[in-house]
Amino acid sequence: MKRLVRQTLVIARRDFIATVFTPTFLLFLLAPFFMIGFATIGGLGARQMVTSTKGNVSILFIANAADGAKIAAVDGQLRKSFSMAERPADLMIIKPDGRGEAQARALFAQGKHDVYAVAFGPLERLTILRSGGSDRSAAYLAELAEQVLRDGKAGLATGQRLTDSRVIPIERETPTQGGRQGIGFAAVFIIFFLTLLLAGQAVGMLAEEKGNKVIEILAAAVPLESVFLGKLIGMFGVALLFVAFWGLLATQGLNYFPTNGLSLATLQPAIGLPLFFVFGAAYFTMAYLLLGAVFLGVGAQASTVREIQMLSLPITIFQVAMFGLSSSAASQPGTDMALFAEIFPFSSPFSMAARGATDPRIWPHLLALGWQLTWVALTIFVAARMFRRGVLKSGSGGLKRLFGRQKSVPAAGLEPRS
Amino acid sequence: MADDLVVRASGLCKYFGDRLVVDGVDLEVPQGRIYGVLGPNGAGKTTTLRMLLGILEPDRGSRTIFGHANPRAVGDRIGYLPEERGLYPAMKCREAIAFMGALRGLDWKEGRARAGDLLEAAGLGHAVDDKIRKLSKGMAQLVQLLGSIVHRPDLIVLDEPFSGLDPVNQERLEALIRAEQERGATIVFSTHVMAHAERLCDRLAIIAGGRRRFEGTVDDARAKLPMHALYTPRVAGNGLAALLPADAVPAGDGFRFLLPADGIEPVLERVMKGGHGIAGLSIERPSLHDAFVRIVGRDNMGDVE
Repeated sequence: MKRLVRQTLVIARRDFIATVFTPTFLLFLLAPFFMIGFATIGGLGARQMVTSTKGNVSILFIANAADGAKIAAVDGQLRKSFSMAERPADLMIIKPDGRGEAQARALFAQGKHDVYAVAFGPLERLTILRSGGSDRSAAYLAELAEQVLRDGKAGLATGQRLTDSRVIPIERETPTQGGRQGIGFAAVFIIFFLTLLLAGQAVGMLAEEKGNKVIEILAAAVPLESVFLGKLIGMFGVALLFVAFWGLLATQGLNYFPTNGLSLATLQPAIGLPLFFVFGAAYFTMAYLLLGAVFLGVGAQASTVREIQMLSLPITIFQVAMFGLSSSAASQPGTDMALFAEIFPFSSPFSMAARGATDPRIWPHLLALGWQLTWVALTIFVAARMFRRGVLKSGSGGLKRLFGRQKSVPAAGLEPRS
Repeated sequence: MADDLVVRASGLCKYFGDRLVVDGVDLEVPQGRIYGVLGPNGAGKTTTLRMLLGILEPDRGSRTIFGHANPRAVGDRIGYLPEERGLYPAMKCREAIAFMGALRGLDWKEGRARAGDLLEAAGLGHAVDDKIRKLSKGMAQLVQLLGSIVHRPDLIVLDEPFSGLDPVNQERLEALIRAEQERGATIVFSTHVMAHAERLCDRLAIIAGGRRRFEGTVDDARAKLPMHALYTPRVAGNGLAALLPADAVPAGDGFRFLLPADGIEPVLERVMKGGHGIAGLSIERPSLHDAFVRIVGRDNMGDVE
């Protein structure tokens, strides 16, 4: 028994030392710090998006000055009874121009605010236009009218209502800014989710070839860059199959869920839905190839399954970092941060996909795709070079030797003989 | 001969870190020949072959294959069996061979057809659709060799091809190498087993400590050592030793000595006159192993067989 314990501890000691005394363990150890940092960035981004979206949303009441003042006063009172999270969108009183419903519909189309609902007409026979999913905004407007009328009368019976409101759901003709930011964020999330799920596999892709020694046959027959790119494309094919399968299931599944009055128009991206999908697919491809090339290159340096496992965490962190950066950028389109995320090669596909939701221009996407493709090639080149030097023993590894010149001075005792 | 050189390497050098592992190696492999690169383990044979094939770039020196400085430019004319054998275990034999052919530009369908023929000819017809993981090590090695010649290359580079094979498969491999030579291919192979080199090589280079110590034919290598004579007298007796060369040492019933520079005849004359007669006489040519020991030095022998 004692012998068994001793032998067990010998194995445990070897595994412990083999794991801890590696550079990758340091990354593994410090991973939570990175994770917290990036989660904070992502969270701040998401919060920023919610805040910026909320500030842009309004409900409108078309009323004359006298009624408008009363409505505003009642709104001031009622609003206090809501928590921050449930508080209705900001109320704006609009002066009537005599066009009635036409004015109300025009207010939906104006681009200054994302309008949820517009009330117009006499308070006793109120008409409310609301966009898809804005039932509560319409109810709130009706309640405001009711309270104004109640304030003017005494001795009302319990349950007796003075306003007779009519709610008309309308199809929004122009997309909301919040909707656009939302679809941008969704694009970032979907591409991130798919690359997280699929590109991470690239880290162990060369392990098989290294394990069964096929790599030398490949390296002798074709350039390593082709080996790397070929493996990446092969895995991308697998990823596409995965996306097609689940995409089909998801689209079919959605038919069985209620849409709750949501209109596709409210989610219309700035470059248009067809182009948005086309660019989305292109950016997914770029994200996969870029991150996949990084993971493939890093994973190719690993010589054991243990090292591959240890590298998985930093790699996931890297992906989350790119997501954090891009989601932050999606919530603040047009800012320096968004520009940085769009230019930084490894967050560029995510951020540019989000940009398509809020910016109608097409040329930045073409430029970005070219830029990203350049980085795919560069990453594969560097990964292959590192692999050739580090793994195929074409000189010692490390960044210094990767970019530096090889030593040409023979070591002591190995001087050329005559 | 220079015009029909398939491989020409000049002053190849390679460092791994600060360690010089190949130090100014020159090689010239004529077309249609079997060329051996001999040396103990760690001599730099594999690194030299890798540099010839462009897997590694030399730090100094140059090489051309079929006259091209970039071996990849003529990659489809080269077949390579690395020292570390590698096949995808989940692949079937036929697919594995076709795959290796496809890497060298052979049409996949054609590769599959040729794979079947090659496996059949190599006595592995029963394993055409077996997965690699089901094969013995020797069989898998043979499959890999077939994969390296399926596209009918003009140059075949084999790194320690006999390593790990049983005598039957070694013989089979030798036959295969000779068949490829008859087809017109040039074969370069490395080994640290002298017997294979002795039987197969038209020319050879001996590398030790990263340097080329010899280049020439097997006979040239043997000529580095003098021949020995083994003389057995009919009648042994006192005074016989005095009639033999000074370096003669007892060997069985007779004596062994270096073949004198003026030939064996004067020695025979003396022993005949002395009445010792001749029960046996043989002239021993030194083996390649002996020549190798002499060229490389016993300290550098490593695990040479």
